[in-house]
Amino acid sequence: MHELSLIQSLLTIVEQYAGREKFSRVRSLKLSFGRLSCLDRKSLEFAFSVQSAATIVEGAALDFEILPARIYCFSCEEDIVLPGALAEYCPRCQGQDIVLSGGTEELKLLEMDVD
Amino acid sequence: MLVRTVTNILDANNRIARDNRALFDEKKVFVINLMSSPGAGKTSLVERTIDGLRDRYRIAVIEGDIQDSFDAERIAKLGIPVIQINTGGACHIDGNMVQEILPNFDLGAIDLLITENVGNLVCPAEFNVGENIKVMILSTPEGDDKPRKYPLMFEKSAALIINKMDLMAHVSFNIDKAIKDSLIINRNLSIFQVSCKTQAGLEQWFEWLRDRMNDFFARRP
Repeated sequence: MHELSLIQSLLTIVEQYAGREKFSRVRSLKLSFGRLSCLDRKSLEFAFSVQSAATIVEGAALDFEILPARIYCFSCEEDIVLPGALAEYCPRCQGQDIVLSGGTEELKLLEMDVD
Repeated sequence: MLVRTVTNILDANNRIARDNRALFDEKKVFVINLMSSPGAGKTSLVERTIDGLRDRYRIAVIEGDIQDSFDAERIAKLGIPVIQINTGGACHIDGNMVQEILPNFDLGAIDLLITENVGNLVCPAEFNVGENIKVMILSTPEGDDKPRKYPLMFEKSAALIINKMDLMAHVSFNIDKAIKDSLIINRNLSIFQVSCKTQAGLEQWFEWLRDRMNDFFARRP
């Protein structure tokens, strides 16, 4: 459900840029979010297809950069990318002294290709 | 033409939340954004917290619900100022909804404002309303897998209240696992094991909250 609010905010941001940078059409948008941020790519795409109708972004391609979950391991003293969701121990040394260090990044608009 | 933007989609809401925060600071109001699944015990915790702190602090409540006003009626019975926000389908309350109803409160006569969010473990964590702290409730019947499934809310909260501890014998909830996973996500999380029904464990929560509030008031004499 929050995808609807987020896409609405995205459209507002794009329109503000369009007024400032004087463009009238958006070919593609690049978005990013963390894989643990409880955002669903398909829901975002669906919300976008519905809400972008009759706006300057109608028909624009959506490109996603989905950031992986990461932990900091106090034994390895290193940031480690996790293959899946949150782990209970370090995948490298099996140590349990770990803390989540990435993957919950909120939705961002990184760049747009415009005419 | 490529336009570099790098804009947080939540910026507009964050700006409104900062305006709310500035107003709360000026009026010396400590604000809690209370979040959980539906049925975890948000309104019960609000009722208990009112009972526990009303002798020392003037308390008001914002009740966020998709529709209806049962929860607000429960709070109004306690003689506490309460405003209901019906989100009309939205799954969270945001900065703007709170801003719009603030004129209905006499903020100068409030020390603690508890904002009870819509029951949902996902979206409320993303939308700041101008709170000092986010507090979340996890109830034992929901299961110990929630930190791993919904890490964002655990990461953003200052306190985790594990409610319905009185049901532990009847549900499969591994408390050690729930706590361990929560602390992997957020090392600074303060965790309280309570039962709003029997009132066990609530005193520690009250004490922690009093300390937080007194720090805030001490910085704004």
